[in-house]
Amino acid sequence: MHALARILGVLVVCSMGMAAELDAPWPQTPIVHENRPPAYYWKAEPAGKSAQLLTLFCGSCGAASDTPGGLPLLAVLRDTLGDENGGNDRVTYVWLLSYSRPTLGQRLLSAVPFFYWHVGQGSSNVGKRDIKPFFNLRAPRHPVLTQVGRDILQYTTLDPMMMPVRATSRAYRTNQLNHERLHLEEAISYLRQAPSSNARSELSSVEVNTVIARLELRKKLLGGLVSERHATKFGEESGFEQERNRSRNWELLRNSAERTGLVFEPVALGGTTDQYAVLWLSAGPTGGQTERSSVDLSSTWKLLGIKDPWREANRTGQDRIPLAIYSLNYPNQPLLLVDFRDKSRTRRHELTQRTINEVTSGIIGISHFANWYYYVAADLYDFVASRHGRAMNQAERLDCYSQFRVSLALDRDLDPQLRKELQQRVSSLSLNPLETATAHELESSRRRYSLLEAEAQRPDGWLAQRLDNERRAELASIGRTGKSKFFAGALHAASLGFYTRRAPRAEGNLAKLDSYRRMEYDLNFLEGLVNAGTPPEIVYQPARIQAAVTELTSLLPGVSSGPTRARAQRTLYSLRDLSQDVSLRADCSFALASMERPFGGTHVAAAAAEIVSEDRP
Amino acid sequence: MKKGRWGRLVTCSRLAIGLFLAFETTLIAAPRRIVLLEVDGLNQDLLESAMKRIDPATGKSQLPWLSHIFGENGTVFENFYTRGISLSAPSWALLVTGEHSVIRGNVEYDRYTGQVYDYLNFFPFYLGYARQKRVDMPGVEVLDRAGIPLLMDRFPPAETLQSFQLFQRGVRWGTLKDALARRFSAESIVSMVESGDAPSYDSVLAKATEADLERGLENPEIFYLDFFTGDLDHEAHATSDPQALVSVLRGVDALAGRLWHAIQQSSLSRETLFVMVSDHGMNNTPGVISQTFSLPDLLNSPPGGSHHVVTNRHQMSDFKLKGLDPMVRRVISPSATSFYLADQASRYPTAWLDIDGNERAAVHLRNNDLNKLHILLLALQRADLDARTRRAAAVAVREIIERHRAAWSTTISDMTAELDLPSKPPAAGDLRQRQELSDREAERSAYHGYLAHLEALLRFQPDEQHPLKEKIASLIPEMSLGDNNSAADLEHYVVGPAAAGLAVDAAGRLDEERSFRFVDYPALLVKQRVRNVPQRALDSRPVDFVAMRLPDQAEEHVYELYGDADRRLLIRTDAANRIALAPARGGWRSGLPLHLFEDPRLDLPAGTDRAGWLSAWHNEREWLEATHRCRYSDGVIGIVEDLSPVENNVPGRPGIAPVALRYEKRRRALVQADFHVFAADHWNFNVRFPNPGGNHGSFLRISTHSVWMMAGAGLPARRIVEPYDSLNFAPTLLHLLGRPAPAGRVVSLSLNSQ
Repeated sequence: MHALARILGVLVVCSMGMAAELDAPWPQTPIVHENRPPAYYWKAEPAGKSAQLLTLFCGSCGAASDTPGGLPLLAVLRDTLGDENGGNDRVTYVWLLSYSRPTLGQRLLSAVPFFYWHVGQGSSNVGKRDIKPFFNLRAPRHPVLTQVGRDILQYTTLDPMMMPVRATSRAYRTNQLNHERLHLEEAISYLRQAPSSNARSELSSVEVNTVIARLELRKKLLGGLVSERHATKFGEESGFEQERNRSRNWELLRNSAERTGLVFEPVALGGTTDQYAVLWLSAGPTGGQTERSSVDLSSTWKLLGIKDPWREANRTGQDRIPLAIYSLNYPNQPLLLVDFRDKSRTRRHELTQRTINEVTSGIIGISHFANWYYYVAADLYDFVASRHGRAMNQAERLDCYSQFRVSLALDRDLDPQLRKELQQRVSSLSLNPLETATAHELESSRRRYSLLEAEAQRPDGWLAQRLDNERRAELASIGRTGKSKFFAGALHAASLGFYTRRAPRAEGNLAKLDSYRRMEYDLNFLEGLVNAGTPPEIVYQPARIQAAVTELTSLLPGVSSGPTRARAQRTLYSLRDLSQDVSLRADCSFALASMERPFGGTHVAAAAAEIVSEDRP
Repeated sequence: MKKGRWGRLVTCSRLAIGLFLAFETTLIAAPRRIVLLEVDGLNQDLLESAMKRIDPATGKSQLPWLSHIFGENGTVFENFYTRGISLSAPSWALLVTGEHSVIRGNVEYDRYTGQVYDYLNFFPFYLGYARQKRVDMPGVEVLDRAGIPLLMDRFPPAETLQSFQLFQRGVRWGTLKDALARRFSAESIVSMVESGDAPSYDSVLAKATEADLERGLENPEIFYLDFFTGDLDHEAHATSDPQALVSVLRGVDALAGRLWHAIQQSSLSRETLFVMVSDHGMNNTPGVISQTFSLPDLLNSPPGGSHHVVTNRHQMSDFKLKGLDPMVRRVISPSATSFYLADQASRYPTAWLDIDGNERAAVHLRNNDLNKLHILLLALQRADLDARTRRAAAVAVREIIERHRAAWSTTISDMTAELDLPSKPPAAGDLRQRQELSDREAERSAYHGYLAHLEALLRFQPDEQHPLKEKIASLIPEMSLGDNNSAADLEHYVVGPAAAGLAVDAAGRLDEERSFRFVDYPALLVKQRVRNVPQRALDSRPVDFVAMRLPDQAEEHVYELYGDADRRLLIRTDAANRIALAPARGGWRSGLPLHLFEDPRLDLPAGTDRAGWLSAWHNEREWLEATHRCRYSDGVIGIVEDLSPVENNVPGRPGIAPVALRYEKRRRALVQADFHVFAADHWNFNVRFPNPGGNHGSFLRISTHSVWMMAGAGLPARRIVEPYDSLNFAPTLLHLLGRPAPAGRVVSLSLNSQ
């Protein structure tokens, strides 16, 4: 036990020492030579006969500038069922092309408590396993169940065991979660730069928002349970929220610079604008700081997270001294990423917080349930510290760090020497053994893309197989209740993903799925109108609503699921009651008649005519 | 024959039915009920552009309901402006009363007693209401004391349903409780899981209020209903992202649709007037971040006078635990470099600011002569003061007091008479009257305290030979500013003793110029430059101009807009309320405040000499028509509305005694600031937290251009291009509802039946 404690102690001290080693003289070069936003674009290509592979490229990013064709960053599979109708499309998979699977060695190291370095470059081999989708948008509940299961396992089985088991399992799990989050944020960063349109060669803004939302929600424990309808809204809102944060932090930092006599400069990095900013110390004995001593600036320095440079004597002979780089994406305040004068500061902060977490939960074994008061006190401390201008949210810090490392890797306008130095600083922030160098990851993204592209061309390849499985799983869920779907998900999780409820392979599966998806699309659309509780023809062109009702009418006879028919009936009734448009009401009546008297042909027409005549004034 | 007679009968019957139906369709019942949708901070241009833009996904307008209700079937005022300062409290006060402003800031301070009128803070009101200490929001209390009724007061209380807002009478606990229940209901938890986020209390409160309103619409006995939403204002302060703003507007649009639908379902649907109004615009420009200039920092600093500064909120409140205090109303930021009041910040703060105004700040400074007295008394306290200087200082003190003797004596006698008026005991169970009586008692005590200091000063005989024995606190009132400063005082304002101390001239008199430090505030403010201005859209000068009232000339009021020493504009008003402009120095030229001379949108008849027209007397209507499309829209009228003697706008309650009316007028006059600072475009003064989106408060058209749209009850589809302002709103509604309205402010609108 003592030996173990000694080893742990050595590891912590080494980490601190390594952090301090990074100190170097202040850089003198200007931060940016030229700011030029790189062009992001989609490339669409068929994936078999009934799907599309859409790949997001950066045309003038980092390594891409040296080779033609741009740098592939992220790909999505859009299941089109082989037609041009957007209503039955589903974005199914997301690949983060820069994502490298951790090697066995990395995994082993990640289970070592207090081991806060990443070793080596990660695997340079890119095989078929590396083109496994990063995220499956059609099964967002599966990771929720898996994660809840792992949490339960940790709390109930691993935590009560001896300290080494608890500490290693917790260290491994923390690293794994952080690693996943880092890449989720990376994918989100790319998608936020992606163009969108209703053209088939790009994702639509709704699709982009939905994908972003699903990735954002993956960061939350129960995020996968969010309904499809809310996901798009969530994605859009999260974009607005980020914009709000950015503007606020931009002004907060500028104003703090003004108060403290520093110079504020926004930096465009890797195609992003207004996400990063640098503070400089201007020339002269007092620089810009004149007559400011009448105001207590301690809270402002605390917010900036750097030491007051005006108190340091050694700043002669330099025109402009860079002090720090901040991310403007952190909620509530600018986040210090690089302190040019105290280069171990940010690493020390990360390290301290991580060490405390490992000591309390891994070594001592403080539990959220038995020792809740500790966590209440810790939360209270975090709250007070954040009210005093400290960035206490570790997860959000990780997100900002992820964005910065990617922006830096994609940038080519920054002074190369400075970029290199910044990359070293960023690299020093990495505490996760599972992590690999961003540049290395980006280098192999092209190879991953080639493999994926080749796979997409194969009609009977692994991807086609997987897509077929997804479609059959979707077919199997048609008409199921929420409970049933949940149970199927639980079985999937319990079997570690080996079991998934699927419909049998059959000739007409694609047609059935097409009907189902179009009906879902129409129903969701009409439900949205009905939920507003107001006449729908004011909000949408009546022709568009009528088209949905007509299509629904044509699809409903083929629907056997009771709940689906009831849902459609409810929606059509409500729509008819709300609408003041005579022909739309008539269409609803016709659709209802065709549902209520499913004996087809002339009978339905007669019944509908009856109802229609009742509707006419 | 039989057939012919029968045919005639049928024809006549058809004709009769036709006539009846025709009459029925044109006989629109006069409006009896009004439903007001009050949207805080909605700019007409933003609304208009979103209404006109077609959403490709729907094939309809981005705001389909607002387009349908008002754009296609209602009356839209294309040029409706905030009158006066474009801030929430003053703007809503004008809208909901239809009377000239008696509230001129979001926070106001009584210069004699330091009482804070914080019009935006709901928490003290709710707490006070729960403890049966308060009945109405502070704004309503002020209007009640001034004798100005709200629009809803024109209806019996049982016929009204008011939502939560700045000018709120009472609290509907039921709605709050309902909102709380919704917030923690099973439905809310499911929704939280489903949507990935917990609904905010504000949003559930809005839902509960809407449900209340819908129930109210079903009740044919309720004739006044309103719904206030501040969502857009909050979002527009936070971001200028057009998509984010349109997203919030879509919410307002859907709300308008639901309300309109509920109105159409109600029994009074044909007699209901649906009105949408906003209090002011908002200076949102896509891609531009609004930058803050800190006036407290400037006033704390030696060049700014090293004042201890009072604000109504904490600076950077998000980074202070104290910033969580919901009851906060006065925050003192001490200056570490005070020239003569070190460590006395809590007793003698000398600069009080209303910076909630964003693009405009109201500044109250302690009376210049009180500063001089304070400095001289501190000197007289010293035992080491040489005899010659002591004598000069004592004489100076005496002279200052003598200069004020007449005015202070009048103040003492008049106010004593006003304060000694017996108060009417409150009717049993009338909380409102009980509260007012309690407020009067508190005021009486505070004012008497101030008057006691004046009396002490008038009695005071400084000793020319020995150190001062009296306590300064017994002579100089604490937490008080005294009377307003004149424009001359502000340009030569004493902020402390000279670095070398008091100086005596050859004649043995105090040499004031050498004895004191002075600051020229208008010049100081306009010469401010900011180092960090990374945006090209912004000037490095954060201050546009300073506005202040000059002494009256004959029957004219005069106001000065100070751009710098060479750019000074005078606005004059005469007894007939006509207005004329004049450059303070030289002739008309470009660059003067408001930039009217060079503004291409100044609408004058062809061939008119601009300089001649601007210098001539015109009535308000002429000014509004000529200037409303200019960059500063109704700035001329706004300055007059904001700086004119406020006491003239206090009518008092019906039957009020002259002395009591004089007291009410005085109380309003005592909250007037010394001067107003207007921010340059895209600058703001909000130091509480950054407002990087848009701001308001200035006379820039983007900040004053507001929304007024009406529909229902026979109002025809029409677009009104003639300009109107807040003063026209309530009178026009009252007129449409067939109720008495002030003449001259009603916009003549014919209903379909007329």
